[in-house]
Amino acid sequence: MKSHLAIVAAAGLALVTAGCAAQGKPFEPVNAPLNHAIIYVYRPYSYNSSLLHPAVQCGSESVHIRPGAYHAFVVPAGRVTCRVEGETADEVDIDAEPRIYYLQERFAFGVLSGHPQLNPMDSDEAQTEIQSCVQQP
Amino acid sequence: MSLADNSPITFSYREELTHEEHHVPMILSAIENLAFSSHPTGEYVVTAFAALSISNGGQPIGDYTAQTRISRPYGEYSQPTHKELDDAARAAVRREIDRKLDAETTRLAASLGETE
Repeated sequence: MKSHLAIVAAAGLALVTAGCAAQGKPFEPVNAPLNHAIIYVYRPYSYNSSLLHPAVQCGSESVHIRPGAYHAFVVPAGRVTCRVEGETADEVDIDAEPRIYYLQERFAFGVLSGHPQLNPMDSDEAQTEIQSCVQQP
Repeated sequence: MSLADNSPITFSYREELTHEEHHVPMILSAIENLAFSSHPTGEYVVTAFAALSISNGGQPIGDYTAQTRISRPYGEYSQPTHKELDDAARAAVRREIDRKLDAETTRLAASLGETE
């Protein structure tokens, strides 16, 4: 009886956690037109706040990124503001040159809900982390 | 850049921001939030570096660098934005460059005067 309960609990947990992770194509670098920058915003999988998918806005484009997913924002070179809002907001100004930037989205504990953060990342660390993320459909 | 197209005096300014984040592990954050709700659960750190070079006809007459480090904690009740920290770090490093430049005004003026 105990073993049946354990199997059911394990199956339930697997369903819950798998249901939270994004499904999609594996990471694939994108190309940008001349004088454009690429800003990869990625969200490494974490069960914490996995039900929260606030809109991440960079320039004029806005995307809801699920846990374990990423999105490539292709923006004209120049000042770009990336913003995410939940119980608190985070905002990053980038003086974008025609190159690649990485922002990692994560959530810290809040009072009623998680606090979204957009952390500017070094390329070497981000390139490794983003490999485990899929394209946000 | 220079003040006028035909000016021999040129300025070169470079500014770099480096970001660090320190996060208390989630499990510890959860326990801390239960026990001490106002306790920080992490910290943002921004280091700003600035370098200003002044040349007169290709001859360097002033070279200034400055570095500042700004850190702010975040917690369950409040969280600064990265933009707030970036702006504060930029303002601080520019003040430091301005201060160094102010201290050199007389020498710079004399050095420019010698070449006229």
